[in-house]
Amino acid sequence: MTAARFGPARPEFDPELRASLAVVGGMFPPTITPELIGFMRASYASPPIEATLEQRGITRTDHTVPGYGGDDIAVSVLTADTGAQLPRVGVLFAHSGGLMFGDRFSGIDLVLDWVTDFGAALVTVEYRLAPEYPDPVPREDVFAALCWVHDHAAELGIRSDGIMLAGASAGGNLIAGAALAVRDRGGPPLIGQVLDYPMLDDRGGGYSLDQFDGVGVWDRVSNDTGWHALLGDARGGPDVSPYAAPARAEDLSGLPPTFLTVGSAEIFRNETADFAERMWRAGGNAELHIWPGAFHGADIFAPHTRVGRAMIQTRNAWVEHLLVG
Amino acid sequence: MQELLGSISRLDPGATLGLRVIACFDELILGNVNTRALLAAAAALAGCPAGVVRIGSSEPTLVSPRGEMLACTPAATPKPDRNTGYTVWLQRAGAAGPNDGLILERLSIALCAKNSAGDEHRRRGLSVVLDSAASQPLRAAAADDLGLRSGEKYRVVLAPLFAVWERHPAGPEDVIGSPFGPLHAALIAEQFDPFQASPCGIGSAHPPGALTKSLRSALTALRLSESGAAPVCADDYGGLLDALLVDEDDVPHDDVVAVARIAERTWGLETVSALITHQTVRETARALGVHHSTLQHRLATVLEELGFPATEGLGRARLAAAYLTHRVRTSRVLEAPPPAQQVQR
Repeated sequence: MTAARFGPARPEFDPELRASLAVVGGMFPPTITPELIGFMRASYASPPIEATLEQRGITRTDHTVPGYGGDDIAVSVLTADTGAQLPRVGVLFAHSGGLMFGDRFSGIDLVLDWVTDFGAALVTVEYRLAPEYPDPVPREDVFAALCWVHDHAAELGIRSDGIMLAGASAGGNLIAGAALAVRDRGGPPLIGQVLDYPMLDDRGGGYSLDQFDGVGVWDRVSNDTGWHALLGDARGGPDVSPYAAPARAEDLSGLPPTFLTVGSAEIFRNETADFAERMWRAGGNAELHIWPGAFHGADIFAPHTRVGRAMIQTRNAWVEHLLVG
Repeated sequence: MQELLGSISRLDPGATLGLRVIACFDELILGNVNTRALLAAAAALAGCPAGVVRIGSSEPTLVSPRGEMLACTPAATPKPDRNTGYTVWLQRAGAAGPNDGLILERLSIALCAKNSAGDEHRRRGLSVVLDSAASQPLRAAAADDLGLRSGEKYRVVLAPLFAVWERHPAGPEDVIGSPFGPLHAALIAEQFDPFQASPCGIGSAHPPGALTKSLRSALTALRLSESGAAPVCADDYGGLLDALLVDEDDVPHDDVVAVARIAERTWGLETVSALITHQTVRETARALGVHHSTLQHRLATVLEELGFPATEGLGRARLAAAYLTHRVRTSRVLEAPPPAQQVQR
């Protein structure tokens, strides 16, 4: 029995993923309004990480580093004694959370394999959150952290000839912005970037943006809330930096090899596919995966499902070829 | 997903985690996912490996909370249940988690619905046998496939997906569509071993070719049942349930409209119920715990609303039919219970 529904046609959620939404919806509602930012900060806070790190043999060292404007921000460096070659390849990670919530360990269990299996040094950055810290603070915190890693590579035991970037959702926004800034400002050398279902465009307009109102994870209204928190009234206008909304960059040439992943059943489907297409037009190296029936962050929330597992394995295979010589 | 459940209950200690677990498995049943996916969901919800072992299957299946297939350790693997043909388990080192019982119950229902004895063909069989739109030869073939004997009679058992099952009946099970949404259906022999589910309706017994009648009476019986009470069997009402016209779209009979008016009084329905189950005014008053003059007063109101002699002869049957029809029409038993009840279960 299919209930009548208003609004545009849309791809069905994969059955396993639809089932997981029964649980996910309790802590991450489909529609996030400004009133829900407080709730989301509590519900999307990462669970205690220490037991996980210990179980996986991962060492964590915390550092206070200069962020945007020289203000202190925290980063953690995660390494494992894998017998891999030293110095390690550094990976700078920016977490998800709509630019308004989450912390540097949110969703991190998906990338810990890179530390334990591929010998990476994972540097995760506590960028400051909107709306208290609007643009350019979050993106410049990430860029500053990247510069700090490069400048302190020797003492961190990290290779200085190439860092990989990775970010999911809002973190994908910050990472894509940082990669553009690196290109334009002549920043540290990059070997690649992972953009998981990235939040790229404040202007809207993609067909997928209007297909998922009130269902799944991160609908149009949630996206409005996030962009407004970051950009305020400048959102959608002529004065937004392409480092804040990377889809605005007119030139996507000169970027490092880029891995992009997104669900067919989420609002960022068009933005992500367009970004890959525009990289290809500019002669770039992009690998794009669109997962059928996947909602936003399906691999974070439902890593046990067939689609979730495939998303993780596919990403890991790409990362492995970059990190493991 | 165990972390997500933990996060939900930290934010709201009264949160309806049970209902979320149930809804998760309901979607998996409707999505017709495979055994690995069912075990992966159970493992992810519990935060530890989940397994199933079946009679006649060489290897048990064990799946991690990340959906990976695991090797089974014989010592930790239970024996399959002789009655159901399989056993599910959670492989946990420490104390049981707060949702373990519910997760195992729903996993078991999902596996049962998926394959009463293991194959897709049989699973579909029950839906076909119960589909009044399917042709008679098709239904007969499906009944054959299910191993039903033409000389025997069988009953349909129906329960909402959120029903609480203490014990499953032995027989094929499936999730079928109904005008009220998906329902859990099982098929049992005319004479059956007791089982316990609540709420639950048991249909009248019919030969394999006429099981749609059993389905109809089971649905009416279900709508006469109540959460927390024993299953209602259509047999208790003889042929009455088959005769009740309970199409939601029908304009109810005047007798039913009159009972609805009586039901607006606080004493209305219990009084009508007592009137149709007891012979005399004295007995009825005693059953209700009221003075017989009070009952006489109520009876006068009842008779005035009905406009026919409801305590004599055919009038009693008219009142009984109108009362049952009213209850079926106003049944709320197929609506998911409110959160508070789910927490207490």
